[in-house]
Amino acid sequence: MKKRADEPGINMTPMIDVVFQLIIFFVCTADMQQKAIDESIKLAMAPHGKPVEQKDPREVVIEVDNKGRISIARTYMSPEYLYTVMRKTVNDHGQSTPVVIRGDGLTKHEAVKQIMDACTRAGLWKVKFAAVKERSS
Amino acid sequence: MAKRQRRIAEAPAELNMTAMIDVVFQLLIFFLVTQKPQDTLANLDVFRPSPEKKQEQLQTPPKMIRVQIYPDGFTINDRPVGAEELDSLLRKLAGIDTKQTIMIMCSGQSKHEDLVRVLDLCAKSGLVNLSVVSTN
Repeated sequence: MKKRADEPGINMTPMIDVVFQLIIFFVCTADMQQKAIDESIKLAMAPHGKPVEQKDPREVVIEVDNKGRISIARTYMSPEYLYTVMRKTVNDHGQSTPVVIRGDGLTKHEAVKQIMDACTRAGLWKVKFAAVKERSS
Repeated sequence: MAKRQRRIAEAPAELNMTAMIDVVFQLLIFFLVTQKPQDTLANLDVFRPSPEKKQEQLQTPPKMIRVQIYPDGFTINDRPVGAEELDSLLRKLAGIDTKQTIMIMCSGQSKHEDLVRVLDLCAKSGLVNLSVVSTN
């Protein structure tokens, strides 16, 4: 209980520095993950759908915007090129790789069909559609 | 004497927190303002025919329920229905057997929204064997 006069209090400065570094690191990396998906896509509502559980790390997210353009991580590609990408995915990770289609609600089914056809031709059978369960605002 | 000694010992522990708190509040306000609330997402699973099975899938077994999606509405086993009626019919079908296969045929011109809505109604009724086929 009794403190000696020459024992200083804990110097907090390095700890605070480290904590701030950590905060900035997490904020930056969280932002990076956000950038891989197209924010302009308005997903359709599915209030009864299964909530997204634990993600498979192999999961491929394919996006279709409201003009029917196909993209992966904001890189637009033709259906033929998508097929080569999917074939490579099958070579690397096997046919059970899940594919998530994030399609804009207003896009025509044709574009989604092209994706499903490319997946089927490549041999991928685990296809999911992303939808919004609950709007946050 | 003891009192005085304690005061001396505690003096260096008093850190000037004001500047730090200022910065932390600034950060907090910045993140509160810039963050956008995230929507809760759902995944709707479907079965896709594997390439070898394609031929087999095309000849529809009589027991299979066919839901067709057109740009202007839905039909179930070739009978035009609205969304509410489709919902009640699917729930009735699920009451019989939730494992039966529902074949969802979607025309190319219809909106993706409608397909998601049908899949959602199936998920609501607890039907799990959903197969999506595209038609022209």
